[in-house]
Amino acid sequence: MIVIDPASAVPPFEQLRAQLAQQILDHTLVVGTRLPTIRRLAADLGLAANTVGRAYRELEEAGLIETRRAAGSFVSAAGENARAQAHRAAADYAAVIARTGIGADEALRIVGAALGHRAAPTLTN
Amino acid sequence: MPTVSPRGDRKPPDELERARLWLAGHGLGEIPPTAALARRLAVRQSCRLAGSLLLAGFILAVALVYTVSNDPATDPSGPSLPPSASLLLLTAVVAGLVAVQALLDRRVRRIDRQVAAALPRRAAHPVRVGWRAVLGRPRAALVAGTFAGAAALTAGALTSADPGVRYGAAVVLIALCGVAAVVLVQLRHVLTRPAVADDEASLTADVILRIEDARETATPTMVWCLPWYLPTAAAPGTAFGWWTVSWIVLIVVGAVVLVAANLADHRRGGLAAAHRERLVNP
Repeated sequence: MIVIDPASAVPPFEQLRAQLAQQILDHTLVVGTRLPTIRRLAADLGLAANTVGRAYRELEEAGLIETRRAAGSFVSAAGENARAQAHRAAADYAAVIARTGIGADEALRIVGAALGHRAAPTLTN
Repeated sequence: MPTVSPRGDRKPPDELERARLWLAGHGLGEIPPTAALARRLAVRQSCRLAGSLLLAGFILAVALVYTVSNDPATDPSGPSLPPSASLLLLTAVVAGLVAVQALLDRRVRRIDRQVAAALPRRAAHPVRVGWRAVLGRPRAALVAGTFAGAAALTAGALTSADPGVRYGAAVVLIALCGVAAVVLVQLRHVLTRPAVADDEASLTADVILRIEDARETATPTMVWCLPWYLPTAAAPGTAFGWWTVSWIVLIVVGAVVLVAANLADHRRGGLAAAHRERLVNP
């Protein structure tokens, strides 16, 4: 279920985007699930079509959904692949850490620094 | 005297009681009835009653047109109306049926909009709730098959050499087109109207209302009633007796499909459970 609260400080498009993203990531919406059309969801939630369109665009840019021109919007397998890739990379990293004898705390700090280093340019853009 | 529902809505007790019984009847007895649901149920009940009266009036009007347009050559004592005038009259009756039904649908939509506008927040399904989830394949096949079968049989009657049979078939065909138009308009509205819900409970109730409306629309009782204006239908044993038998077979097969679909939903645990299952496996 998706709930839009007009009284919330969070903009409606962000409420919609966050709830759909959450449901895709926790597999409530499985890969291949067809989402409602923009117009239909806008009518259901009492929102403007542009608001729903913006949420769908952002989900598409994040690789969570894909839109096929005539068939509509579907939960994409891309998000699932990215997650599996991250799991594989983490397992490889854990193996390297175990081999080199670096402690778990330091290993987490290294990851944190790497994530911070990669996130920084995105934030400034 | 008005009462206050558990969610703080004021509504006459009978309407809330009706809503409570409706929820309990669909296995949702734990959900408290709301004024919004009571209002939506009340408008549907009055519109369904008006729709039934409308269809009864339509059947009477078609019968009347057919009666007053008897061929004077075959029945000089009876009333007569030129065939072109009677077909025009019939077309007007059909147009009237479609228009009044559209007004009834508009009334339901207006109440739904008013209820939706009063909700503090709005809820919706994140998946597409299409015709398969709302109407279901068996009922969709039933309504399409009934109209196709009825149209084929009527077209068959149009090929008769008997002008009386041909005229009767033309009457049925025009009436059939009118009923098909009404059903299409109603189904489109049922399938596309916005959800009116603010939480999980009201969202489930909204879908069940939608399913009920779709079922009501898709049950082809009107089509089953139409053929009896053909003179052959009123005179079994004539050369066109096969036609009557075919229509009876159409009705029996349709009734069997309808009963089977209802039993299948009942086995799945009612509309609410069937709806959840269809949402997961559309």
